[in-house]
Amino acid sequence: MKLNLPPSIASTQDLASLTAEIHEYARWSVHESIKKQVKVSGKAMPPTMSPAANELIRNWVRDANIDELIDALKNYAATASSVNITLAAPPSSGIKNTLVTWCRENISPTVLVTFQFNATLLGGMVVQHGSRVFDWSFRRQILAERQRFPEVLRNV
Amino acid sequence: MNIYLQLFLLLNVFAIGVLTPIAVRHARAHFKPHPSDTKDSHIADHSVRLPQAVREKLLEEAGAKFQAVLDRSASELERDLKNTSTNLGKQLEKTGTEVVMNEIKHYQAILVKLREETEASAFSGRSEINKHKTELIEKLNVRQVELEAALTEEVAAEKERLLKQIDTKLADAVASFLVETLQHNVDLGSQTAYLTTMLDEHKAEIAKKVSDEA
Repeated sequence: MKLNLPPSIASTQDLASLTAEIHEYARWSVHESIKKQVKVSGKAMPPTMSPAANELIRNWVRDANIDELIDALKNYAATASSVNITLAAPPSSGIKNTLVTWCRENISPTVLVTFQFNATLLGGMVVQHGSRVFDWSFRRQILAERQRFPEVLRNV
Repeated sequence: MNIYLQLFLLLNVFAIGVLTPIAVRHARAHFKPHPSDTKDSHIADHSVRLPQAVREKLLEEAGAKFQAVLDRSASELERDLKNTSTNLGKQLEKTGTEVVMNEIKHYQAILVKLREETEASAFSGRSEINKHKTELIEKLNVRQVELEAALTEEVAAEKERLLKQIDTKLADAVASFLVETLQHNVDLGSQTAYLTTMLDEHKAEIAKKVSDEA
């Protein structure tokens, strides 16, 4: 079964957290299954899970078991490519989702996106993949075009 | 001096030298006869035995003839001497005049030649000076033009360098001002469209990079 992560699971850390949650849930599920088999009364509360984990488990357990999901997540983490995006401020979830969705639709469905922020960028973003850096920050544009400032000032 | 004139003068001197002792000797013999001559005359007297009157007459006639010959010779000699002296004077004057004139002409020619050479030398010197002066002026003008061009170029380069330096400083100041000012007012929400536009513009490049490393 193909694993499709929601946009909220963007980075490697998000994926690791999601894997840990699902692993915890699987352990709880196994424990509850054993208790049911041996007819032990008393049901433990399921672990608290994020909406993304709940949705993923709901979608996954229709066609496969949860252990396969954990394996798929580990395989995903091992094989997915990663892109680092630096913004001028901490991004909101909406911006994160927009950018992650764009990346998974246009670059690779399994890409992981790590977000960082640097206020000196002023705006725009810096996209890094491996050794390649795409600097579309306002700071770079201002510094690149600074030779035009005197000309603009002279024309005022 | 002319060689013929010199020969003529020497001959005249020689003739004067010969004739003068002869005339003096004859004069002395006439006025102061030698005793031997008297003795001979006595011998003649003893041998011829002419009458006294005849003998005196002959002596007077001989003396008169001798005196006449002597006078005539003296007058001719005097006339010749005068002529010779006159001719010599004239000749000397003429020769001297010619010599002086020749020397004057020679000196004049030398002076003219020297003056011409001096004038030519002076003219040549002036020409050389003028030529050198002209060359110096031309070189000076060329050098002045070169220096002016170099100075203009140097001033323009310095001006350009200062302008670039000012522009750089100004650009740095403006950039620093913008960076310092804008980093406190970042609105990512308004940049979403810009961010996706940038991603769209470089989509192929990013996808290729990711696929190459996958």
